[in-house]
Amino acid sequence: MNRNLFFKEMRRNALSLILWMIVVSLLISGTMSIYGTFLENQSKVIGMMSLIPKGALQFKGISNLNNLVSVLGFYAVNNVIYMMVLGSIFAIVLSSNILLKEEYNKTAEYLLTRPLTRSEIYFSKLAVLFLHIFLLNLVAALAGFISVEIVKTGPFSIKAFFTLCTYTLLLNILFGTIGLFLSILVKRAKPITTFCIGIVLVFYFIYTLSKITDSVSAIGYVSPFKYVNVEAFRPGYALDLWHLAYFIGISMVLTGLSYRLYQRKDIYT
Amino acid sequence: MSEPIIDIRDLSKFYGKARGIEHVNLEIGVGEIFGFIGPNGAGKSTTIRILMNMIFPTSGSAKIMGMDVIKETKKIKSQVGYIPSDANAYSSMVVQEFLRYCARFYEIQDGEQRITELSELFELDLKRKIDDLSMGNRKKVSIVQSLLHNPKLLILDEPTTGLDPLMQSKFFELLRSENRKGMTIFYSSHILSEVQMLCKRVAIIKDGKIIQMEDIETLRKKQLKKVHAEFRDQVREETFSITGITSVITGPGNILSFMYSGDINELVRLLSANKMINLMIEEPSLDEIFMHYYK
Repeated sequence: MNRNLFFKEMRRNALSLILWMIVVSLLISGTMSIYGTFLENQSKVIGMMSLIPKGALQFKGISNLNNLVSVLGFYAVNNVIYMMVLGSIFAIVLSSNILLKEEYNKTAEYLLTRPLTRSEIYFSKLAVLFLHIFLLNLVAALAGFISVEIVKTGPFSIKAFFTLCTYTLLLNILFGTIGLFLSILVKRAKPITTFCIGIVLVFYFIYTLSKITDSVSAIGYVSPFKYVNVEAFRPGYALDLWHLAYFIGISMVLTGLSYRLYQRKDIYT
Repeated sequence: MSEPIIDIRDLSKFYGKARGIEHVNLEIGVGEIFGFIGPNGAGKSTTIRILMNMIFPTSGSAKIMGMDVIKETKKIKSQVGYIPSDANAYSSMVVQEFLRYCARFYEIQDGEQRITELSELFELDLKRKIDDLSMGNRKKVSIVQSLLHNPKLLILDEPTTGLDPLMQSKFFELLRSENRKGMTIFYSSHILSEVQMLCKRVAIIKDGKIIQMEDIETLRKKQLKKVHAEFRDQVREETFSITGITSVITGPGNILSFMYSGDINELVRLLSANKMINLMIEEPSLDEIFMHYYK
C-alpha cells in the first residue's frame, strides 16, 4: 500500500462520504423519531396496516406487524433498508469508480507512471474503499444506536443491534467487491455507475419478489439481500455462520480475482 | 554503444485482431535525444505505454536501464519522467497540491525548490485550480511534474500540444540543458520540425513497424534528393521512370519536380538527354523525407 496515494484518495472521496453520512444519519434518526407516535397509536396503525395486502407489506420487509412493536423490530424494518440498499449503492458506486475513474478521467497516465506497482495501487484503493464503507456503516450504526436509545421504552439487545449492523456492513462490502470486480472487467474506460446501481436494485427486487411470491421464493437465494437476517427482535438472534461464510467468501473471491485481473489489465485513457 | 537505456526486442502488441505494433526493435543509448516519429495510429503511443507498463505486450520484451518493464516497473519509474500526450491532472486539485502530490512519490531532497524553479520557468501559477487552466497551462503542469525528480530518462509523447511557440522554445532549451546534464530523452511526435530541431537520431514507425532508424543528418542526406528540372521542351513523365525517382510532379513551364534516391551521375545523365534550362538539386525537408518513407 502507498500512503501518499491512500491519503490522496481519502481526501478525494471525503466530501462524498460526509454527505452520505449526513443523509443516512438523518434518514435513520428521522424514521426512529416516529417510533413513539407509532407506539401510542399502535393498535390503530396495526389495524390500518393489516388492511394492506400481505405482499405489499412483505415488499416493505414487514413479515409480521407485531414485529414493529419492539424497538429493534421497528429499527430493522424501517432503517436497515436504508443501509441495506443505500449503503450498498454507496459501496458499489464508490468501488466501481475507484480504479476506473482514473481511466475515464484520463488521470491513469499520471498514476501508473509513478514508482508504484499495480499491487500498491490496488491495495491503496482497496483500503480506501473498505475504510469508506466501514466509516459510513459506523456512523449509521451510531445514529441508529443513539436513536434507539432515545426512543426505546424498555431494554433491547445491544448484541442483536450490532449483529444487525454487522450483517449490513458485510452486505455493503460484498457489493463493494462486486463493483470493483465489474470495473476491472471494463475494457474501454467509461463509467459504469448506472449499471452498478441497477445491479443493487435488481438484487433487491429479486429478494423482495422471492419474499412476496411463494412460488418463486427460491430465486431469492441469488440475491445477497437474502443472506441478511433482519429478524433482530427474535431471541437468540446472532450471526449465522453459513451466511457469514457466504459474505466473506464471495467478497474474498471477488477481491482476489479483481487483484489478479488488475495485475494484467491494459489501461487505456 | 554501452548498455542501451531503452532496449526493445521484437515487441508486438495486438488489440484482439487489430494491430498495435509488430516486431518493434529499438535501442536507445544513454544521453541520446531520440526521436520517434509517425502519424497517428502508427504505434508510437502503444510502444510508450508498454514501456510505462500501462499495457502489456503480446510478445517480445522491453527493458529500461537493463530492467524488465513489467517485472521491475517500480524501480524503472523512479528514474523515468513521462509527459503524456493527452492526460488530465486531477481537476479538483490546485497546481501546487498536485505537484506536491507527484513529488511525494519520489525521494526528492529539494522538492519545493524544484517545484518553484520549474513553475517560474514556465510561468505557471501554482495557486490556480487545475480545472481552470487552459490546455497549454495543463501541458506546463505535465512538463513540470515529469521533471520534478530529475529523471535519468524522459519519455515524451506529443509534448508540445497546446504550448505557444515561446513556451515551446523554452521547453526545448530546457530539454537540451537537461540532456547536457546527462538526461536521455525519448521524444515521440508527429511534428517533424520539432524532431529535426531537437533529436540526433530518429526512428520512423509506420503501421506498427519501424521502417527506418537513422541519424537525423544521415536521414536527411541519405541519397534522397529533391530535384526541380526545367526543360526547354515539354517532356513526358514516362521518360523518367527509372529506379529511385518518386513523387514526380509536372509543374507549369515544363518543370518537373521529383524525389530521387540513387546514383546522382545516372540521374544527371538521364536529365541531360533533354535540353534543360535550369536544374536545382536540394536537400529535402524532414517532412518530405517522412512522406517518402510513408509511400
